[in-house]
Amino acid sequence: MTLIMVVDDDLDLAEMLGIVLTGAGYEVDLVNRGDEVMPLFSTQNPDLILLDVMLPGLSGVEVCKLIREKSMVPIVMLSAKDDKQDVVAGLEAGADDYMVKPFDPAELVARMKVRLRRSGGEVNSDLTIGNIVIDQIEHSIIRDGRIIALTRLEFDLLVALAKEPGRVFSREELLSQVWGYRPATDTRLVNVHIQRLRSKVEIDPENPAIILTVRGVGYKAGVPGSFQ
Amino acid sequence: MNSPFKAWRTSLVIRVTGTIVLLSIILIYLAGSALYTQISSGIFDEKLNLSISDAQSTARNAQFQLTFSQYQDKAALKSIFAEILAVPPKTFDNTAREVAIFSFAKTKVRFKFSGASNFLEVTSIPKDFRKKTKISNTTQWGRAKLSYINGRNEPAIVVGHTLKIAGAGNYEFYVLFSLEQQTRTMALILNYLWLTGIALTFLIGIITFFVLRRLISPIRDAARVAEELTAGNLELRMDINGEDEIARLGYSFNEMAVALQQQISRLENLSKLQQRFVADVSHELRTPLTTIRMASQVIYSARDIFEPKVARSAELLVSQIERFESLLRDLLEVSRFDAQAAVLEIGEVDLTALVKETIDYVHPSQDRIILLLAPITPVIVDIDPRRIKRILRNLISNAMDHRDGKNIEVQIKESENEVSIGVRDYGLGFTYTDKKLLFERFWRADTSRARSTGGTGLGLSIALEDAKLHQGEIDVWGERGRGAHFVLTIPKFAGGSIRSRPISAQPE
Repeated sequence: MTLIMVVDDDLDLAEMLGIVLTGAGYEVDLVNRGDEVMPLFSTQNPDLILLDVMLPGLSGVEVCKLIREKSMVPIVMLSAKDDKQDVVAGLEAGADDYMVKPFDPAELVARMKVRLRRSGGEVNSDLTIGNIVIDQIEHSIIRDGRIIALTRLEFDLLVALAKEPGRVFSREELLSQVWGYRPATDTRLVNVHIQRLRSKVEIDPENPAIILTVRGVGYKAGVPGSFQ
Repeated sequence: MNSPFKAWRTSLVIRVTGTIVLLSIILIYLAGSALYTQISSGIFDEKLNLSISDAQSTARNAQFQLTFSQYQDKAALKSIFAEILAVPPKTFDNTAREVAIFSFAKTKVRFKFSGASNFLEVTSIPKDFRKKTKISNTTQWGRAKLSYINGRNEPAIVVGHTLKIAGAGNYEFYVLFSLEQQTRTMALILNYLWLTGIALTFLIGIITFFVLRRLISPIRDAARVAEELTAGNLELRMDINGEDEIARLGYSFNEMAVALQQQISRLENLSKLQQRFVADVSHELRTPLTTIRMASQVIYSARDIFEPKVARSAELLVSQIERFESLLRDLLEVSRFDAQAAVLEIGEVDLTALVKETIDYVHPSQDRIILLLAPITPVIVDIDPRRIKRILRNLISNAMDHRDGKNIEVQIKESENEVSIGVRDYGLGFTYTDKKLLFERFWRADTSRARSTGGTGLGLSIALEDAKLHQGEIDVWGERGRGAHFVLTIPKFAGGSIRSRPISAQPE
């Protein structure tokens, strides 16, 4: 059974989230304080974490950083502010997605499903992007013989670009393919994650060779072997 | 405008210096002319007095010579005349002094004679003056010009007498004094006067310029500081030296700056407080609202097992929570505008694509109720897409609500720096009084009708704020029964402003 860890200081909201998520077929673990997350995390080993930004003890952004040091588990931030700084701080700390309260529970579940989805096993050949080899079966990426750790979202993002080399993806396209969004949502989500992904896979993130920016349009995969 | 004219208009120093220089040129010219006249008449008078006494003594000598010489014959007379006319010619350091003698033409003269010293032309003595001399018995003087046979000319004074010689008749006797030296002196003085005048004017100009500049520099300083203050550099103050009027200006200026700074920081604090309040309220309201929403969804999805009244209540609950939510969202947006906390997030966007997307969102159907008229090439603009989309959504859904079964036209038109999006419907329209109230908060065109179509009553007010945030405007035309036309015009590039409107709200 899929275990979701819900971290929110509002007991009623946490309980309600528990009801909705159990209804959707998940197992739920409720946590009310930021500083209680890490001890529980290592014993429970959840499949996804719903993390409020404002938490007593330890802020959501801090918790997010601590989790990322240990694990690539999908994290969806819950924010009571649509204050952009809040959201961006969470994303930069390593969150995969965010929802602004009051959100539509159906949409929350839909987004969680995308994050929990195992990317399809129908492809078994290795993909390459730049000088990086993507092992789709092992779910790992290798650069110069070394494995680079990526979150599942970052992996999905890289695979989406690598599957169709040469095609330029708009931010909206990436949002719907990788995040499972309906159109007309916040495209900064894409920008922040592309930056994070670049910092992991690019040799020089300032001069990207693997994920290229197409000004005014979006992003595309770098050509394999096109650089030293 | 030419730069000298511009300097004249914009620089007080140049204007005042220019005026003073002009005035001093006039004054110096007048004083110089008066001085010149005084000196020249003084010099002339002195020369004249000397000349007259010299001429008188010469005439007396001549008369004496002629009277006491034993007049014998013409030859003797001639030799006496020659003796009188034998004046030494002009030497290097001497001025010319010439003598001329004519016999009276009409009276009976025994010996006719006409001659002058040193090759002087006899025409050097003006005819009028000769007539005057002949009539009068006393010494006469006048101006003349020494002209010599070799063509040399010199200005001169002529003094005339009548010589009466017993037995020979009357003779005109003239002594001419060259004014050459005086003329040269006067020319020299004139030159010096000119030089002095020019030097004085120049000095006055320079002194005025520097004194004025010194005087005005604190004022310039004040202007510069004022500009900096306007630009937001509230810490800047004027430098103050001394205790004079200028220093007082500095003091009061600085006091004003302090007052201004305090006022501004007070307002900033107020605005920050309001922002904080908005953020807090937002947070406090959102969390319970999320819970309520989820709870209502759970209840709603189980409505099949409720009895009809409870099921209907669940439906109402869900729809009213949605309404409450949009009201809260709009209210927060409005208060963010009021606290001036709204910030643009500018990006490069294809406006046509954005409009198409919005139309699909408002009316996701294949039947062509909304007609789009856009340029073939993409209209790339610097905008905050979220806000522009919100404006368009509002305008288009308003048109949908009031179209009265008729089609809607959406038009995009660009000029060099601006782009307009017009939303035209041919439906209910509105009256002139309504037009003034359109952008008021919570105002509704027609209470019973509008409420059924939803909306918070804040939409247009937010749309206008969003447009203003882009330095844009929303123009409106409407007439009862003829429909309405809302036109959003924004600058195409960030930081621009609108100077023209590619689409006018007034239909042709």
